[in-house]
Amino acid sequence: MQPSKQFYTSIKIIDADEVPQLKKRTDIATFVIIFFIVVILTRLWFLQIHNGNNYREKADNNRVRMLDVIAPRGNILDSKGRTILTNRPSFNIVWVKEDSPDPDEIIKKLSIILDEEIAELLKRVREAADNPRHIPILLKEDIDWKTLVYIENNHYDLPGIRIEVLPIREYLYGDFGSHMIGYLGEINQEELVGRKGENYQGGDQIGKNGFEKIYEEELRGEKGISYMEVDARGFEQRQLKGREPLPGNDLQLTVDLDLQLEAEKAMEGMAGAVIAMDVNSGRILAFVSSPPVHLEDFVGGISTKKWQELLNNMKRPLVPKTIQGQYPPGSTYKIVTALAGLAKKVITPNTIFYCSGSMVYGNRRYGCWKQGGHGAVSLHRALAESCDVYFYQVGLKVGVDGLAEYAKSLGLGTRTGIELEYEKSGLIPTAAWKKQAKGVPWQEGETLSIAIGQGFNLVTPLQICQMTSALANGGMLYKPFLVEKIIDPEGQVIKEFEPTVTLELLGMDNYLELIRDGLIDAVNDRHGTGTAARLKDITVAGKTGTAQVVTMETFKAVDEEDVAYQHRDHAWFTSFAPAEKPEIAVTVMVEHGGHGGSAAAPVAKKILERYFAVKSDVNSAKSVEKQASLR
Amino acid sequence: MLAAVLLIAAMGLINLYSATYAGGDASTTAFFRQLYFFVAGFSFIVIIHLFDYRILLTWNYPLYIITVCVLLGALLFGGSIAGTQRWINLGFFRLQPSEPAKLMLVISLASYYYRKDTGRGFTIKDLGVPILLTGVLFVLILKQPDLGTALMFAGIFISMTLFVKLKWSTVWIIFGACSAAIPMGWKFFLKPYQKQRILTFLNPESDPNNSGYHIMQSKIAVGSGLKFGKGYLKGTQGHLHFLPERHTDFAFSVWAEEWGFAGALVFLAVYFFMILWGLNVCMASRDKFGVLLAFGIVSLIFWQAVINLLMVMGFLPVVGIPLPLFSYGGSSLMTTLIGIGLLMNIRMRRYQVRKA
Repeated sequence: MQPSKQFYTSIKIIDADEVPQLKKRTDIATFVIIFFIVVILTRLWFLQIHNGNNYREKADNNRVRMLDVIAPRGNILDSKGRTILTNRPSFNIVWVKEDSPDPDEIIKKLSIILDEEIAELLKRVREAADNPRHIPILLKEDIDWKTLVYIENNHYDLPGIRIEVLPIREYLYGDFGSHMIGYLGEINQEELVGRKGENYQGGDQIGKNGFEKIYEEELRGEKGISYMEVDARGFEQRQLKGREPLPGNDLQLTVDLDLQLEAEKAMEGMAGAVIAMDVNSGRILAFVSSPPVHLEDFVGGISTKKWQELLNNMKRPLVPKTIQGQYPPGSTYKIVTALAGLAKKVITPNTIFYCSGSMVYGNRRYGCWKQGGHGAVSLHRALAESCDVYFYQVGLKVGVDGLAEYAKSLGLGTRTGIELEYEKSGLIPTAAWKKQAKGVPWQEGETLSIAIGQGFNLVTPLQICQMTSALANGGMLYKPFLVEKIIDPEGQVIKEFEPTVTLELLGMDNYLELIRDGLIDAVNDRHGTGTAARLKDITVAGKTGTAQVVTMETFKAVDEEDVAYQHRDHAWFTSFAPAEKPEIAVTVMVEHGGHGGSAAAPVAKKILERYFAVKSDVNSAKSVEKQASLR
Repeated sequence: MLAAVLLIAAMGLINLYSATYAGGDASTTAFFRQLYFFVAGFSFIVIIHLFDYRILLTWNYPLYIITVCVLLGALLFGGSIAGTQRWINLGFFRLQPSEPAKLMLVISLASYYYRKDTGRGFTIKDLGVPILLTGVLFVLILKQPDLGTALMFAGIFISMTLFVKLKWSTVWIIFGACSAAIPMGWKFFLKPYQKQRILTFLNPESDPNNSGYHIMQSKIAVGSGLKFGKGYLKGTQGHLHFLPERHTDFAFSVWAEEWGFAGALVFLAVYFFMILWGLNVCMASRDKFGVLLAFGIVSLIFWQAVINLLMVMGFLPVVGIPLPLFSYGGSSLMTTLIGIGLLMNIRMRRYQVRKA
């Protein structure tokens, strides 16, 4: 098919006069080409050099997904460093909707695997509807091992379903100190606004109560960030270097695990409070409000049903009775009356009053708890046997304002200043107070009630314990405290709390000793009211109290067992030991428990027993150690 | 010259490897296919050298008719991809007939203008046949539908027509007709998605998830390359699938992302050297057919390159024009290599006329 030579010769050659024209046109073409080269290069320069960093950033934003990594919260330890509260991994089911080709099918399958209603799962999905599509939706928290293994094994049948591991609170000792430890909850709008700039996000857990709330800043740690490289469809490609979360600081409490558990056990089934305090520092060794709150119920949000149950419970588990329960102090207040009488010099240790079982004042008869009467009583016997008539007499002589003066000097009627929130101050009435609050002047007859701790008087168990400590240590009113130190994750102590003295009673040593003597016999004399707290080797001193809830006249004829629960008396017992050289004060308050001597004193005994048993264990262990090292 | 082509081809292959790289053992299918096409294409260049390019003067109409038939065939029986019928399955390879059709148009127009050239300039009447030649192909491609390629045909026609001598009156008539036709075309010919593409071009950020997405991602890819790029195989935009069509239309984005401004400069230098060399062939040719053919081939490669580059840099809407020699695609590669073979042929035989 080669064309002939003729064909080629017939090809027109460009005329000479056309050459410059052609040249001109190719020049134009060259110019056009160069023009576009310049345009392209300019554009390239603009994109890559001038705006390059901007685009680099966009490229990174495209591919890098930033996710917060929740930091494990700090632990809570007892006074000896034993862990009470820590974290454990919780396996949550999350769903990245955009990774699932058939969302309905997934929900159906999950409903069977997780044993949850489809409607319940869909509700969760709807709640997260506003989130970006790549943010995982939480479908179920804290699944069990069996479910976890099943889902892991059937991973390919469940596209988009993932397991997320989050640290959650683990309560190693059940409801240990539930009221002081408190619980976590999802951060609410108000908290989010209030804590702006502190790296909180919706859905985060935050302390709602107790230490979890008060020490939120210490416990929360610092969130980490994980950078995940994703492709255009949002599939995660690989983990980039991020920032590890920083665990929170630990709280070491002053509370002793053994004592606390003993106290909680002793209060089982009863409503009330138990406080054990180191009398020489204000360190609280046990801090129980009964019944406890089941903290586990709050993990992942408490159900409405359970919350209602808590609210309606007659024993008021939600109220921390140690600091918010306000009760008439009953006969424990006789410590105040005795001190006031001695200090005001209206009585001496030898002053004798006659108790016939009752006393008439004005046109009313004021009874002693012992209907037969105590006969002639001195201060010592009056305290030991808790003679009401004796203290009526002292009260009358001191007057309401004199009583209030010494009640306040022993810390009653004011908040102790413990680190917990919402502490109540109680109430110590004065004549002026009544005039102002009730609009009527003080009746002298009311002073009689006040003198034995009834009437308007209201105290918290913590105040009574603080007062008892002051009595035991010779007049130092220490501020009670629960947190010993804050320890960072490396074990370095970053903050240590020192005992602080709120108030010091001066020149009262003799009077306090007289009262202490009385309290020793209250426990150790066979006529004493608090004999139920007696220990074999250790001298315990204590004062019982029975606080009337309603005037017992109504129920005088009724057998105690038949009185409705909420009308029964509150039982008090406050004590310290060893009496010769006090170390520990224990205050027990049993709501509607009846008599202090029978309901509260045995509880105190158990705690004291435990305290000294542990102490001697430690001592003997120490001496064994010493012997071992000597050898 | 051949060195420049080989260099571009090599860069294209290297880039293709990266663009289709998926970590670990890459899916190298595309890479090897492209390599085969290069080898085949170069053998075509050799074969083309055996013939005198002027043989095309006798073959141009039969070739043109074959092209039209193939395009019709593609429309009627072609495999449909994403609603467009651009392919004819030849078993070992799917031919995209619009690619060789571009070259056919160049050959046909060059032949026609050569024959009709009187040296006095063309009148509007003389342009009837070229308009018809272009129009048939234009409509066939538009029906596929492939607006970008169809517009390429118009571009080739305009370039070549402007290159031959026109009477000034003719220029004005064409200009007037075009300005009338553009609004008409907008109203009647363009499909909504094509209108959308053009609107997006005017304001790409308005719709970053759909139409503007490609342009945005491409700009991000190019821009994030900075001076020296992210490094070979380390481009994130490409490998994480943010870039669409990263081995075909947006191949240059991958290149610019991984090699940066420096790499892009090297590439453009070589590329435009090749184009200017083509223009040089055009000037060196001593016969009118050679001049016209060379110019047509150069404008074919040049316009595709310019449109593609401006597109990936966000200056033009996404129209689906590949970067010749660089983008993945057998049909385009073969067509371009044949075109380059013709250019070399013209250069080789530039003195033969005188000898004969």
